[in-house]
Amino acid sequence: MAADPKMRFLVVDDFSTMRRIVRNLLKELGFTNVDEAEDGAIALQKLQAGGFEFVVTDWNMPNMDGLTLLQTIRSTPNLKHLPVLMITAEAKKENIIAAAQAGASGYIVKPFTAGTLSEKLNKIFEKMGQG
Amino acid sequence: MTANNDSSDLEALFDSVASEYKEVPASPAPAVQPTPAHTPTDGDSDDLQALFDSVASETQSLQAQVTEVAGADADTQAVAGEAWSQQEAVFNRIGHMARALHDTLGELGYDKLLEKTVSALPDAKDRLAYVANLTEQAACRVLNATDIASPLVEEVEAGAKALGERWDRVFANQMGAEDFKRFAEETRAFLNHRLPEKTQATHAQLTEIMMAQDFQDLTGQVIKKIVALAQDLESGLMTVLLEVLPDTKRTEEVNSLMNGPVINAEGRTDVVVNQEQVDDLLDSLGF
Repeated sequence: MAADPKMRFLVVDDFSTMRRIVRNLLKELGFTNVDEAEDGAIALQKLQAGGFEFVVTDWNMPNMDGLTLLQTIRSTPNLKHLPVLMITAEAKKENIIAAAQAGASGYIVKPFTAGTLSEKLNKIFEKMGQG
Repeated sequence: MTANNDSSDLEALFDSVASEYKEVPASPAPAVQPTPAHTPTDGDSDDLQALFDSVASETQSLQAQVTEVAGADADTQAVAGEAWSQQEAVFNRIGHMARALHDTLGELGYDKLLEKTVSALPDAKDRLAYVANLTEQAACRVLNATDIASPLVEEVEAGAKALGERWDRVFANQMGAEDFKRFAEETRAFLNHRLPEKTQATHAQLTEIMMAQDFQDLTGQVIKKIVALAQDLESGLMTVLLEVLPDTKRTEEVNSLMNGPVINAEGRTDVVVNQEQVDDLLDSLGF
């Protein structure tokens, strides 16, 4: 399934630089409809307001961390279908397992490349097309 | 260096010996005055008197020793020697006590450690804030530069592509002489002006990106200082901890899901070091 270039992304990271980098990479991949949130709590507010189709989130953030955000999304009926890709510096195996068990759609460890992001996005789009 | 250290030690030794030496010849004169001093004026005087008497008697015996130069009898010499070795023992003990006190103060330097920590930490905090500030600025400069350069490169690409397509038409004989003349001029203008303009502007942004890396030098220096400070603090606190902490507590690991980046993965089996390992792990678990 070819991803819709109008697909609306929410990029969640407490560092503006990282949000900007992810936004630029998404733009290069053809996705220009991108909004940002600086922590899980703000992200949840924006998601509740509706209109988002994809979440890219960091793990370690103030107020609400990425795992909690993911768990909240998965337990919220009108949000649980959203694909959630985690991009994080957390590299412990138990982190990856915890994220997978919580229902993450993909897991990317920082530092990462544009190629990795593209590959993971495509993999998620494929699964979405099947499902 | 060693010579200096030695000489100060030697000097101290010399001073102590010299002061001892002065007391000996100075004693004969006061030795005549024991009687008036016998009237007790305060509590201390008895003790002082006793001390004085012992010194005086010793001096007398020493003087006796001196006067009877060659014919000194064995008894006098024995008494003098004994008195001297007692005095030496007292000096030695005082010396040892001073040394022990000094060492204890050094070992109990926790107050000093705390004082150092208290003054060093705000400084380290400021330094780290400086590092965070500089790296953030650099990241912004680089991202701004790429934001400016990207459209320039895109315009160059689009312009070249448009000219290329028209040249394809020329080669396919689909362009009239008049059109070709205008097209040739446009090509010339593109090559002479529009292209260099954009590449120069792009180059300026590349220079900006390069210059934005100047933080590395400054942050590197600051970070090195903080690393040194952290090492000092760690070793100091480690000593305190090892003395205070029970053995069982020492091996407990901090368990958390928010550890930040893995700084050193060497010898660790609980972390992944690249994306491939993340993918393999997830695959192996069936995700």
